[in-house]
Amino acid sequence: MTKALVVFEKEWLEIRLQRGLLLATLAVPPLITVFALLVFLLAGLTPGGVSTGGFPLPPDLAGLSSRELAQAIVGKQFSVIFFLLPVFIPSVIASYAIVGEKRERTLEPLLATPIRTSQLLLGKSLAALVPSVVITLACALLFVLGITEWAVTPRVAGVIATPGWWAVLLVDMPLLSLIGVALIVIVSSRVNDPRTAQQVSAVLIVPVLGLLFGQLTGELVLNVPFALVGALVLALCALVALRLATDLFAREAILTRWR
Amino acid sequence: MTAAIETTHLTRTFDGRVAVEDLSVSIAEGSVFGFLGPNGAGKTTTVRMLAALIAPTAGAATVAGHRLGVDDDALRRSVGILTESPGLYDRLSARQNLTYFARLYDLTRAKAAEQVDRYLRMLELWERRDDPVGTFSKGMRQKLAIARALLHEPPVLFLDEPTAGLDPEAARTVRDFVAMLRREGRTIFLTTHNLPEADELCDVIAIFQRRLLRMGTPAQLRAGLFDAGTIVRVAGEARTFVAALRALPFVRDVTADGDRLSLHVDDPDARNPDVVDALTRAGARIRYVEPIRHSLEDVYLRLMSGGAP
Repeated sequence: MTKALVVFEKEWLEIRLQRGLLLATLAVPPLITVFALLVFLLAGLTPGGVSTGGFPLPPDLAGLSSRELAQAIVGKQFSVIFFLLPVFIPSVIASYAIVGEKRERTLEPLLATPIRTSQLLLGKSLAALVPSVVITLACALLFVLGITEWAVTPRVAGVIATPGWWAVLLVDMPLLSLIGVALIVIVSSRVNDPRTAQQVSAVLIVPVLGLLFGQLTGELVLNVPFALVGALVLALCALVALRLATDLFAREAILTRWR
Repeated sequence: MTAAIETTHLTRTFDGRVAVEDLSVSIAEGSVFGFLGPNGAGKTTTVRMLAALIAPTAGAATVAGHRLGVDDDALRRSVGILTESPGLYDRLSARQNLTYFARLYDLTRAKAAEQVDRYLRMLELWERRDDPVGTFSKGMRQKLAIARALLHEPPVLFLDEPTAGLDPEAARTVRDFVAMLRREGRTIFLTTHNLPEADELCDVIAIFQRRLLRMGTPAQLRAGLFDAGTIVRVAGEARTFVAALRALPFVRDVTADGDRLSLHVDDPDARNPDVVDALTRAGARIRYVEPIRHSLEDVYLRLMSGGAP
Protein backbone atom coordinates (compact mmCIF):
# COMPACT_ATOMS: atom_id res chain seq x y z
CA MET A 1 0.00 0.00 0.00
CA THR A 2 2.90 2.35 0.75
CA LYS A 3 4.16 2.15 -2.80
CA ALA A 4 0.68 2.73 -4.16
CA LEU A 5 0.62 5.92 -2.09
CA VAL A 6 4.04 6.91 -3.42
CA VAL A 7 2.69 6.50 -6.95
CA PHE A 8 -0.46 8.41 -5.99
CA GLU A 9 1.60 11.30 -4.58
CA LYS A 10 3.74 11.55 -7.70
CA GLU A 11 0.75 11.34 -10.04
CA TRP A 12 -1.08 14.01 -8.11
CA LEU A 13 2.04 16.19 -8.17
CA GLU A 14 2.21 15.86 -11.95
CA ILE A 15 -1.48 16.68 -12.29
CA ARG A 16 -1.03 19.79 -10.14
CA LEU A 17 1.81 20.92 -12.40
CA GLN A 18 -0.48 20.71 -15.44
CA ARG A 19 -2.62 23.73 -14.66
CA GLY A 20 -4.60 23.50 -17.91
CA LEU A 21 -5.54 19.88 -17.36
CA LEU A 22 -6.34 20.52 -13.72
CA LEU A 23 -8.56 23.47 -14.52
CA ALA A 24 -10.31 21.76 -17.43
CA THR A 25 -10.96 18.69 -15.30
CA LEU A 26 -11.94 20.17 -11.99
CA ALA A 27 -13.79 23.28 -13.19
CA VAL A 28 -16.63 21.27 -14.75
CA PRO A 29 -18.39 20.11 -11.55
CA PRO A 30 -18.63 23.60 -9.97
CA LEU A 31 -19.91 25.06 -13.25
CA ILE A 32 -22.58 22.37 -13.56
CA THR A 33 -23.56 22.87 -9.93
CA VAL A 34 -23.97 26.61 -10.36
CA PHE A 35 -25.99 26.03 -13.53
CA ALA A 36 -28.18 23.45 -11.76
CA LEU A 37 -28.85 25.82 -8.89
CA LEU A 38 -29.75 28.67 -11.25
CA VAL A 39 -32.24 26.50 -13.11
CA PHE A 40 -33.60 25.26 -9.77
CA LEU A 41 -34.01 28.85 -8.59
CA LEU A 42 -35.75 29.90 -11.81
CA ALA A 43 -38.07 26.89 -11.60
CA GLY A 44 -39.16 28.11 -8.19
CA LEU A 45 -39.75 31.62 -9.50
CA THR A 46 -42.07 30.53 -12.33
CA PRO A 47 -45.47 31.68 -11.05
CA GLY A 48 -47.52 28.79 -12.43
CA GLY A 49 -45.06 26.04 -11.69
CA VAL A 50 -45.58 22.96 -13.88
CA SER A 51 -48.61 21.00 -14.88
CA THR A 52 -48.40 17.22 -14.99
CA GLY A 53 -50.97 17.16 -17.79
CA GLY A 54 -52.71 14.26 -16.17
CA PHE A 55 -49.62 12.02 -16.09
CA PRO A 56 -49.32 10.07 -12.86
CA LEU A 57 -46.54 11.31 -10.60
CA PRO A 58 -44.01 9.11 -8.84
CA PRO A 59 -45.12 8.48 -5.26
CA ASP A 60 -42.46 10.70 -3.70
CA LEU A 61 -43.68 13.69 -5.71
CA ALA A 62 -47.35 13.19 -4.94
CA GLY A 63 -48.98 16.03 -3.07
CA LEU A 64 -46.51 18.73 -4.09
CA SER A 65 -47.76 22.07 -5.33
CA SER A 66 -47.04 23.02 -8.92
CA ARG A 67 -44.11 25.31 -7.93
CA GLU A 68 -42.73 22.68 -5.58
CA LEU A 69 -43.13 20.13 -8.34
CA ALA A 70 -41.22 22.31 -10.82
CA GLN A 71 -38.28 22.57 -8.47
CA ALA A 72 -38.45 18.93 -7.43
CA ILE A 73 -38.36 17.66 -11.05
CA VAL A 74 -35.48 19.99 -11.96
CA GLY A 75 -33.61 19.15 -8.77
CA LYS A 76 -34.04 15.39 -9.18
CA GLN A 77 -32.75 15.49 -12.74
CA PHE A 78 -29.69 17.48 -11.77
CA SER A 79 -29.08 15.36 -8.68
CA VAL A 80 -28.27 12.36 -10.89
CA ILE A 81 -25.51 14.36 -12.59
CA PHE A 82 -23.46 13.93 -9.43
CA PHE A 83 -23.42 10.19 -10.14
CA LEU A 84 -22.15 10.84 -13.68
CA LEU A 85 -19.40 13.32 -12.89
CA PRO A 86 -17.02 10.91 -11.10
CA VAL A 87 -17.22 8.63 -14.11
CA PHE A 88 -16.24 11.33 -16.56
CA ILE A 89 -13.86 13.54 -14.59
CA PRO A 90 -11.13 10.92 -13.99
CA SER A 91 -11.21 9.64 -17.56
CA VAL A 92 -8.69 12.22 -18.81
CA ILE A 93 -6.28 11.55 -15.96
CA ALA A 94 -6.71 7.78 -15.99
CA SER A 95 -6.36 7.50 -19.74
CA TYR A 96 -2.84 8.93 -19.48
CA ALA A 97 -1.98 6.59 -16.62
CA ILE A 98 -0.02 4.10 -18.68
CA VAL A 99 -0.06 5.72 -22.12
CA GLY A 100 1.67 8.77 -20.63
CA GLU A 101 4.41 6.60 -19.14
CA LYS A 102 4.84 4.86 -22.47
CA ARG A 103 5.07 8.17 -24.31
CA GLU A 104 7.65 9.64 -21.93
CA ARG A 105 9.56 6.34 -21.90
CA THR A 106 9.45 6.30 -18.13
CA LEU A 107 7.84 2.88 -17.85
CA GLU A 108 11.03 0.84 -18.12
CA PRO A 109 12.87 2.45 -15.19
CA LEU A 110 9.61 2.37 -13.26
CA LEU A 111 9.09 -1.36 -13.85
CA ALA A 112 12.73 -1.97 -12.95
CA THR A 113 11.92 -0.94 -9.38
CA PRO A 114 10.51 -3.53 -6.96
CA ILE A 115 6.94 -2.30 -7.45
CA ARG A 116 4.17 -4.79 -8.03
CA THR A 117 1.73 -4.27 -10.88
CA SER A 118 -1.18 -4.09 -8.43
CA GLN A 119 0.61 -1.33 -6.44
CA LEU A 120 1.36 0.66 -9.57
CA LEU A 121 -2.18 0.42 -10.91
CA LEU A 122 -3.78 1.13 -7.53
CA GLY A 123 -1.66 4.27 -7.14
CA LYS A 124 -2.55 5.46 -10.61
CA SER A 125 -6.24 4.64 -10.14
CA LEU A 126 -6.36 6.52 -6.83
CA ALA A 127 -4.73 9.55 -8.44
CA ALA A 128 -7.54 9.70 -10.96
CA LEU A 129 -10.29 8.72 -8.52
CA VAL A 130 -9.66 10.77 -5.39
CA PRO A 131 -9.72 14.30 -6.87
CA SER A 132 -12.84 13.58 -8.88
CA VAL A 133 -14.70 12.05 -5.95
CA VAL A 134 -13.67 14.88 -3.64
CA ILE A 135 -14.72 17.63 -6.05
CA THR A 136 -17.97 15.83 -6.81
CA LEU A 137 -18.83 15.45 -3.14
CA ALA A 138 -17.97 19.09 -2.49
CA CYS A 139 -20.20 20.19 -5.37
CA ALA A 140 -22.98 17.84 -4.25
CA LEU A 141 -22.83 19.42 -0.81
CA LEU A 142 -23.01 22.87 -2.40
CA PHE A 143 -25.97 21.69 -4.47
CA VAL A 144 -27.81 20.47 -1.37
CA LEU A 145 -27.10 23.70 0.48
CA GLY A 146 -28.36 25.64 -2.53
CA ILE A 147 -31.60 23.73 -2.96
CA THR A 148 -32.21 23.89 0.78
CA GLU A 149 -31.78 27.65 0.68
CA TRP A 150 -33.73 28.35 -2.51
CA ALA A 151 -36.49 25.73 -2.36
CA VAL A 152 -39.97 27.25 -2.25
CA THR A 153 -40.72 25.00 0.72
CA PRO A 154 -38.55 22.67 2.84
CA ARG A 155 -40.46 19.69 1.35
CA VAL A 156 -38.68 20.17 -2.02
CA ALA A 157 -35.17 19.63 -0.74
CA GLY A 158 -36.46 16.60 1.14
CA VAL A 159 -37.63 14.80 -2.01
CA ILE A 160 -34.36 15.53 -3.86
CA ALA A 161 -31.62 14.91 -1.30
CA THR A 162 -33.14 11.77 0.16
CA PRO A 163 -31.20 9.35 2.37
CA GLY A 164 -31.17 7.00 -0.62
CA TRP A 165 -29.60 9.69 -2.83
CA TRP A 166 -26.96 10.37 -0.18
CA ALA A 167 -26.24 6.67 0.16
CA VAL A 168 -25.81 6.23 -3.60
CA LEU A 169 -23.63 9.35 -3.71
CA LEU A 170 -21.39 8.34 -0.84
CA VAL A 171 -21.15 4.59 -1.38
CA ASP A 172 -22.09 3.61 -4.93
CA MET A 173 -20.70 6.59 -6.81
CA PRO A 174 -17.03 6.13 -5.72
CA LEU A 175 -17.28 2.43 -6.56
CA LEU A 176 -18.71 3.19 -10.00
CA SER A 177 -15.93 5.69 -10.51
CA LEU A 178 -13.34 3.09 -9.46
CA ILE A 179 -14.73 0.63 -12.01
CA GLY A 180 -14.51 3.32 -14.67
CA VAL A 181 -10.93 4.14 -13.76
CA ALA A 182 -9.94 0.47 -13.72
CA LEU A 183 -11.45 -0.07 -17.17
CA ILE A 184 -9.66 2.98 -18.53
CA VAL A 185 -6.37 1.80 -17.02
CA ILE A 186 -6.86 -1.61 -18.66
CA VAL A 187 -7.33 0.00 -22.05
CA SER A 188 -4.59 2.56 -21.37
CA SER A 189 -2.07 -0.24 -20.87
CA ARG A 190 -3.00 -1.83 -24.18
CA VAL A 191 -3.20 1.15 -26.54
CA ASN A 192 -0.95 4.03 -27.49
CA ASP A 193 -3.60 6.72 -27.76
CA PRO A 194 -5.21 8.09 -24.60
CA ARG A 195 -8.38 9.00 -26.53
CA THR A 196 -9.12 5.33 -27.07
CA ALA A 197 -8.91 4.75 -23.34
CA GLN A 198 -11.19 7.70 -22.62
CA GLN A 199 -13.94 6.24 -24.78
CA VAL A 200 -14.31 3.36 -22.36
CA SER A 201 -15.80 5.61 -19.73
CA ALA A 202 -18.76 6.19 -22.03
CA VAL A 203 -19.85 2.60 -21.36
CA LEU A 204 -20.53 3.46 -17.75
CA ILE A 205 -23.07 6.12 -18.67
CA VAL A 206 -25.59 3.37 -19.29
CA PRO A 207 -26.25 2.36 -15.66
CA VAL A 208 -26.29 6.01 -14.58
CA LEU A 209 -28.82 6.87 -17.27
CA GLY A 210 -30.83 3.92 -16.03
CA LEU A 211 -30.90 5.57 -12.60
CA LEU A 212 -32.00 8.88 -14.11
CA PHE A 213 -34.87 7.51 -16.18
CA GLY A 214 -35.86 5.02 -13.52
CA GLN A 215 -36.25 7.87 -11.07
CA LEU A 216 -38.17 10.08 -13.47
CA THR A 217 -40.67 7.39 -14.32
CA GLY A 218 -41.02 6.36 -10.72
CA GLU A 219 -39.95 2.80 -11.55
CA LEU A 220 -36.89 3.20 -9.39
CA VAL A 221 -36.68 4.63 -5.92
CA LEU A 222 -33.25 5.54 -4.65
CA ASN A 223 -33.50 4.32 -1.10
CA VAL A 224 -30.86 3.06 1.30
CA PRO A 225 -31.46 -0.68 0.68
CA PHE A 226 -31.16 -0.07 -3.05
CA ALA A 227 -27.88 1.80 -2.50
CA LEU A 228 -26.48 -0.95 -0.27
CA VAL A 229 -27.39 -3.78 -2.63
CA GLY A 230 -25.97 -1.69 -5.49
CA ALA A 231 -22.81 -1.12 -3.47
CA LEU A 232 -22.32 -4.86 -3.02
CA VAL A 233 -22.69 -5.48 -6.74
CA LEU A 234 -20.44 -2.55 -7.62
CA ALA A 235 -17.79 -3.55 -5.07
CA LEU A 236 -17.68 -7.00 -6.63
CA CYS A 237 -17.41 -5.47 -10.11
CA ALA A 238 -14.69 -3.10 -8.89
CA LEU A 239 -12.67 -6.00 -7.46
CA VAL A 240 -13.02 -7.92 -10.71
CA ALA A 241 -12.05 -4.84 -12.73
CA LEU A 242 -8.96 -4.19 -10.58
CA ARG A 243 -7.94 -7.83 -10.74
CA LEU A 244 -8.48 -7.80 -14.49
CA ALA A 245 -6.41 -4.63 -14.83
CA THR A 246 -3.54 -6.30 -12.95
CA ASP A 247 -3.79 -9.56 -14.88
CA LEU A 248 -4.00 -7.86 -18.26
CA PHE A 249 -1.07 -5.55 -17.57
CA ALA A 250 1.51 -7.37 -19.66
CA ARG A 251 4.82 -5.89 -18.49
CA GLU A 252 6.88 -7.65 -21.13
CA ALA A 253 4.61 -6.83 -24.04
CA ILE A 254 4.48 -3.18 -23.01
CA LEU A 255 8.27 -2.96 -22.82
CA THR A 256 9.16 -4.96 -25.89
CA ARG A 257 6.37 -4.26 -28.36
CA TRP A 258 5.58 -0.62 -27.77
CA ARG A 259 7.67 1.85 -29.75
CA MET B 1 36.44 -14.48 -6.99
CA THR B 2 32.66 -14.55 -6.46
CA ALA B 3 30.44 -14.00 -9.48
CA ALA B 4 28.08 -11.03 -9.29
CA ILE B 5 26.28 -12.13 -12.44
CA GLU B 6 26.15 -15.65 -13.73
CA THR B 7 24.11 -16.82 -16.69
CA THR B 8 23.69 -20.35 -17.96
CA HIS B 9 22.38 -20.94 -21.48
CA LEU B 10 20.28 -17.81 -21.21
CA THR B 11 18.00 -17.58 -24.22
CA ARG B 12 15.18 -15.31 -25.27
CA THR B 13 12.96 -15.54 -28.31
CA PHE B 14 10.23 -13.21 -29.53
CA ASP B 15 7.56 -14.93 -31.59
CA GLY B 16 10.03 -17.56 -32.73
CA ARG B 17 12.79 -15.03 -33.49
CA VAL B 18 15.86 -15.63 -31.37
CA ALA B 19 17.10 -12.41 -29.74
CA VAL B 20 19.58 -13.93 -27.29
CA GLU B 21 20.92 -17.44 -27.72
CA ASP B 22 22.58 -19.65 -25.18
CA LEU B 23 24.42 -16.94 -23.27
CA SER B 24 26.65 -18.32 -20.53
CA VAL B 25 28.88 -15.84 -18.74
CA SER B 26 30.27 -15.31 -15.28
CA ILE B 27 31.03 -11.76 -14.23
CA ALA B 28 33.25 -11.22 -11.21
CA GLU B 29 32.17 -8.94 -8.38
CA GLY B 30 33.61 -5.47 -8.64
CA SER B 31 34.46 -5.70 -12.32
CA VAL B 32 33.33 -3.68 -15.31
CA PHE B 33 31.93 -5.99 -17.96
CA GLY B 34 31.64 -4.55 -21.45
CA PHE B 35 28.94 -5.96 -23.67
CA LEU B 36 29.60 -4.97 -27.26
CA GLY B 37 27.57 -5.64 -30.32
CA PRO B 38 25.84 -3.94 -33.22
CA ASN B 39 22.31 -2.51 -33.09
CA GLY B 40 19.74 -5.27 -32.73
CA ALA B 41 22.33 -7.73 -31.42
CA GLY B 42 20.25 -8.46 -28.30
CA LYS B 43 22.19 -6.34 -25.82
CA THR B 44 19.16 -4.50 -24.43
CA THR B 45 17.18 -7.75 -24.28
CA THR B 46 19.99 -9.26 -22.22
CA VAL B 47 20.03 -6.30 -19.85
CA ARG B 48 16.26 -6.46 -19.50
CA MET B 49 16.42 -10.15 -18.65
CA LEU B 50 19.16 -9.66 -16.07
CA ALA B 51 17.26 -6.76 -14.49
CA ALA B 52 14.15 -8.97 -14.20
CA LEU B 53 12.19 -6.80 -16.61
CA ILE B 54 11.51 -9.63 -19.01
CA ALA B 55 11.75 -13.37 -18.46
CA PRO B 56 14.12 -15.63 -20.34
CA THR B 57 12.64 -18.25 -22.65
CA ALA B 58 15.26 -20.73 -21.49
CA GLY B 59 18.32 -20.87 -19.28
CA ALA B 60 18.98 -19.38 -15.88
CA ALA B 61 20.74 -16.46 -14.28
CA THR B 62 21.79 -15.31 -10.86
CA VAL B 63 22.32 -11.61 -10.24
CA ALA B 64 23.73 -10.32 -6.96
CA GLY B 65 22.93 -13.68 -5.41
CA HIS B 66 19.28 -13.68 -6.48
CA ARG B 67 17.95 -16.20 -8.95
CA LEU B 68 16.15 -14.72 -11.90
CA GLY B 69 12.47 -15.70 -11.97
CA VAL B 70 12.58 -16.91 -8.36
CA ASP B 71 13.37 -13.84 -6.33
CA ASP B 72 12.75 -11.00 -8.76
CA ASP B 73 11.74 -8.37 -6.18
CA ALA B 74 14.99 -8.88 -4.25
CA LEU B 75 16.91 -8.94 -7.51
CA ARG B 76 15.40 -5.59 -8.54
CA ARG B 77 16.40 -4.12 -5.17
CA SER B 78 19.98 -5.23 -5.79
CA VAL B 79 20.43 -3.76 -9.23
CA GLY B 80 20.36 -0.29 -10.71
CA ILE B 81 19.59 0.27 -14.35
CA LEU B 82 20.28 3.07 -16.75
CA THR B 83 17.92 2.38 -19.61
CA GLU B 84 18.53 3.21 -23.28
CA SER B 85 16.41 6.33 -22.90
CA PRO B 86 16.78 8.27 -19.62
CA GLY B 87 13.01 8.05 -19.02
CA LEU B 88 12.50 11.01 -16.70
CA TYR B 89 9.37 12.94 -15.81
CA ASP B 90 9.87 16.24 -17.60
CA ARG B 91 7.42 18.26 -15.51
CA LEU B 92 8.96 17.20 -12.23
CA SER B 93 12.17 18.69 -10.87
CA ALA B 94 15.40 16.72 -10.60
CA ARG B 95 14.80 16.30 -6.88
CA GLN B 96 11.19 15.18 -7.33
CA ASN B 97 12.21 12.64 -9.98
CA LEU B 98 14.85 11.12 -7.73
CA THR B 99 12.71 11.19 -4.60
CA TYR B 100 9.95 9.27 -6.37
CA PHE B 101 12.30 6.47 -7.37
CA ALA B 102 14.08 6.44 -4.01
CA ARG B 103 10.72 5.82 -2.32
CA LEU B 104 9.87 3.07 -4.84
CA TYR B 105 13.15 1.42 -3.86
CA ASP B 106 11.85 1.30 -0.27
CA LEU B 107 14.00 4.09 1.15
CA THR B 108 12.41 5.95 4.04
CA ARG B 109 11.59 9.62 3.47
CA ALA B 110 14.63 10.74 5.46
CA LYS B 111 17.01 8.32 3.76
CA ALA B 112 15.56 9.17 0.35
CA ALA B 113 16.14 12.88 0.95
CA GLU B 114 19.71 12.18 2.06
CA GLN B 115 20.52 10.01 -0.96
CA VAL B 116 18.88 12.39 -3.40
CA ASP B 117 20.91 15.32 -2.09
CA ARG B 118 24.09 13.24 -2.12
CA TYR B 119 23.80 12.19 -5.76
CA LEU B 120 22.58 15.57 -6.96
CA ARG B 121 25.75 17.08 -5.50
CA MET B 122 27.98 14.25 -6.71
CA LEU B 123 26.76 14.54 -10.29
CA GLU B 124 26.91 18.35 -10.23
CA LEU B 125 23.17 18.82 -10.58
CA TRP B 126 22.66 20.50 -7.21
CA GLU B 127 22.27 24.01 -8.61
CA ARG B 128 19.45 22.81 -10.88
CA ARG B 129 17.79 20.54 -8.32
CA ASP B 130 14.44 22.34 -8.34
CA ASP B 131 14.22 22.98 -12.08
CA PRO B 132 11.89 20.91 -14.25
CA VAL B 133 13.82 18.12 -15.92
CA GLY B 134 12.28 19.13 -19.25
CA THR B 135 14.66 22.11 -19.25
CA PHE B 136 17.78 19.93 -18.83
CA SER B 137 20.38 19.23 -21.51
CA LYS B 138 20.88 15.67 -22.72
CA GLY B 139 24.03 15.32 -20.61
CA MET B 140 22.25 16.51 -17.48
CA ARG B 141 19.36 14.12 -18.10
CA GLN B 142 21.79 11.26 -18.50
CA LYS B 143 23.56 12.15 -15.26
CA LEU B 144 20.22 12.34 -13.49
CA ALA B 145 19.26 8.92 -14.84
CA ILE B 146 22.55 7.53 -13.55
CA ALA B 147 21.86 9.09 -10.15
CA ARG B 148 18.44 7.42 -10.17
CA ALA B 149 20.08 4.04 -10.78
CA LEU B 150 22.29 4.53 -7.73
CA LEU B 151 19.88 5.87 -5.11
CA HIS B 152 19.39 2.51 -3.41
CA GLU B 153 23.14 1.74 -3.56
CA PRO B 154 22.86 -1.40 -5.67
CA PRO B 155 25.92 -3.66 -5.86
CA VAL B 156 25.19 -4.36 -9.55
CA LEU B 157 24.63 -1.69 -12.18
CA PHE B 158 23.40 -2.06 -15.74
CA LEU B 159 24.36 0.86 -17.92
CA ASP B 160 22.87 0.71 -21.39
CA GLU B 161 24.80 3.03 -23.72
CA PRO B 162 25.59 5.56 -20.97
CA THR B 163 27.46 8.02 -23.21
CA ALA B 164 25.40 7.67 -26.39
CA GLY B 165 24.65 11.06 -27.90
CA LEU B 166 26.57 13.04 -25.28
CA ASP B 167 29.07 15.76 -26.09
CA PRO B 168 32.71 14.89 -25.32
CA GLU B 169 32.74 16.77 -22.01
CA ALA B 170 29.56 15.14 -20.71
CA ALA B 171 30.76 11.75 -21.95
CA ARG B 172 34.03 12.25 -20.07
CA THR B 173 32.12 13.09 -16.86
CA VAL B 174 30.05 9.94 -17.21
CA ARG B 175 33.11 7.78 -17.90
CA ASP B 176 34.91 9.23 -14.88
CA PHE B 177 31.86 8.50 -12.79
CA VAL B 178 31.74 4.90 -14.01
CA ALA B 179 35.42 4.54 -13.13
CA MET B 180 34.66 5.90 -9.65
CA LEU B 181 31.81 3.41 -9.21
CA ARG B 182 34.19 0.62 -10.13
CA ARG B 183 36.60 1.81 -7.46
CA GLU B 184 33.72 1.62 -4.98
CA GLY B 185 33.56 -2.09 -5.76
CA ARG B 186 30.33 -2.20 -7.73
CA THR B 187 29.86 -4.60 -10.58
CA ILE B 188 29.03 -2.78 -13.79
CA PHE B 189 27.47 -4.33 -16.86
CA LEU B 190 28.10 -1.81 -19.60
CA THR B 191 26.68 -1.98 -23.10
CA THR B 192 28.25 0.42 -25.54
CA HIS B 193 29.09 1.11 -29.17
CA ASN B 194 31.98 3.26 -28.08
CA LEU B 195 34.96 0.93 -28.42
CA PRO B 196 37.65 3.21 -26.98
CA GLU B 197 35.32 3.70 -24.00
CA ALA B 198 35.01 -0.06 -23.52
CA ASP B 199 38.77 -0.41 -23.87
CA GLU B 200 39.30 2.27 -21.23
CA LEU B 201 36.72 1.13 -18.69
CA CYS B 202 36.19 -2.59 -18.99
CA ASP B 203 38.04 -5.42 -17.27
CA VAL B 204 36.36 -8.02 -19.43
CA ILE B 205 34.63 -7.54 -22.76
CA ALA B 206 32.12 -9.78 -24.47
CA ILE B 207 31.47 -9.32 -28.15
CA PHE B 208 27.95 -10.35 -28.84
CA GLN B 209 25.66 -10.72 -31.78
CA ARG B 210 22.63 -12.73 -30.71
CA ARG B 211 25.16 -15.16 -29.23
CA LEU B 212 28.49 -14.71 -27.54
CA LEU B 213 31.22 -14.40 -30.17
CA ARG B 214 34.25 -13.80 -27.97
CA MET B 215 34.99 -12.87 -24.38
CA GLY B 216 38.13 -11.86 -22.52
CA THR B 217 40.18 -8.96 -21.29
CA PRO B 218 40.91 -6.38 -23.99
CA ALA B 219 44.50 -7.72 -24.20
CA GLN B 220 43.27 -11.32 -24.52
CA LEU B 221 40.89 -10.35 -27.30
CA ARG B 222 43.68 -8.67 -29.23
CA ALA B 223 46.08 -11.54 -28.70
CA GLY B 224 43.47 -14.06 -29.70
CA LEU B 225 42.81 -12.45 -33.04
CA PHE B 226 46.04 -10.87 -34.14
CA ASP B 227 49.63 -12.09 -34.28
CA ALA B 228 52.06 -10.31 -32.02
CA GLY B 229 54.42 -8.04 -33.86
CA THR B 230 56.89 -5.20 -33.85
CA ILE B 231 57.25 -2.00 -35.77
CA VAL B 232 60.76 -0.66 -36.41
CA ARG B 233 61.33 2.79 -37.82
CA VAL B 234 64.68 3.34 -39.44
CA ALA B 235 66.55 6.23 -41.01
CA GLY B 236 66.08 5.98 -44.77
CA GLU B 237 64.23 3.41 -46.84
CA ALA B 238 62.97 0.50 -44.80
CA ARG B 239 62.68 -1.92 -47.76
CA THR B 240 66.55 -2.09 -47.85
CA PHE B 241 66.43 -4.16 -44.63
CA VAL B 242 63.61 -6.56 -45.42
CA ALA B 243 65.98 -9.31 -46.57
CA ALA B 244 68.00 -9.09 -43.35
CA LEU B 245 64.88 -9.64 -41.31
CA ARG B 246 63.51 -12.45 -43.49
CA ALA B 247 66.77 -14.28 -42.82
CA LEU B 248 65.85 -14.55 -39.13
CA PRO B 249 64.11 -17.91 -38.49
CA PHE B 250 61.61 -16.58 -35.95
CA VAL B 251 60.27 -13.77 -38.16
CA ARG B 252 57.13 -14.89 -39.93
CA ASP B 253 56.22 -11.91 -42.03
CA VAL B 254 57.88 -8.59 -42.89
CA THR B 255 56.47 -5.61 -44.74
CA ALA B 256 58.08 -2.24 -45.44
CA ASP B 257 56.39 1.09 -45.90
CA GLY B 258 58.55 4.24 -46.13
CA ASP B 259 60.72 4.21 -43.03
CA ARG B 260 58.56 1.57 -41.31
CA LEU B 261 59.18 -2.14 -41.02
CA SER B 262 56.35 -4.28 -39.67
CA LEU B 263 57.22 -7.82 -38.64
CA HIS B 264 55.32 -10.60 -36.95
CA VAL B 265 57.11 -12.69 -34.35
CA ASP B 266 55.77 -15.05 -31.70
CA ASP B 267 57.37 -13.45 -28.68
CA PRO B 268 58.35 -9.84 -29.36
CA ASP B 269 59.73 -9.27 -25.84
CA ALA B 270 62.27 -12.06 -26.31
CA ARG B 271 62.97 -11.57 -29.99
CA ASN B 272 63.22 -7.81 -30.36
CA PRO B 273 66.93 -7.64 -29.21
CA ASP B 274 67.81 -10.11 -32.01
CA VAL B 275 65.81 -8.04 -34.49
CA VAL B 276 67.66 -4.89 -33.46
CA ASP B 277 71.03 -6.72 -33.72
CA ALA B 278 70.27 -8.01 -37.21
CA LEU B 279 69.17 -4.59 -38.43
CA THR B 280 72.24 -2.91 -36.94
CA ARG B 281 74.50 -5.47 -38.60
CA ALA B 282 72.77 -4.72 -41.88
CA GLY B 283 73.65 -1.06 -41.42
CA ALA B 284 70.29 0.27 -40.26
CA ARG B 285 70.09 3.29 -37.99
CA ILE B 286 67.12 2.62 -35.76
CA ARG B 287 64.86 5.44 -34.68
CA TYR B 288 62.07 3.62 -32.80
CA VAL B 289 61.01 0.08 -31.86
CA GLU B 290 57.40 -0.38 -30.74
CA PRO B 291 54.83 -3.16 -30.57
CA ILE B 292 52.10 -3.38 -33.20
CA ARG B 293 48.94 -2.21 -31.42
CA HIS B 294 45.52 -3.38 -32.50
CA SER B 295 42.61 -1.33 -31.32
CA LEU B 296 39.50 -2.88 -29.89
CA GLU B 297 37.83 -1.59 -33.02
CA ASP B 298 40.10 -3.88 -35.08
CA VAL B 299 39.05 -6.80 -32.88
CA TYR B 300 35.39 -5.89 -33.10
CA LEU B 301 35.35 -5.38 -36.84
CA ARG B 302 37.19 -8.61 -37.47
CA LEU B 303 34.71 -10.55 -35.35
CA MET B 304 31.74 -8.84 -36.93
CA SER B 305 33.03 -9.53 -40.42
CA GLY B 306 33.31 -13.20 -39.55
CA GLY B 307 37.06 -13.14 -40.16
CA ALA B 308 38.00 -14.44 -36.76
CA PRO B 309 39.62 -17.87 -36.43
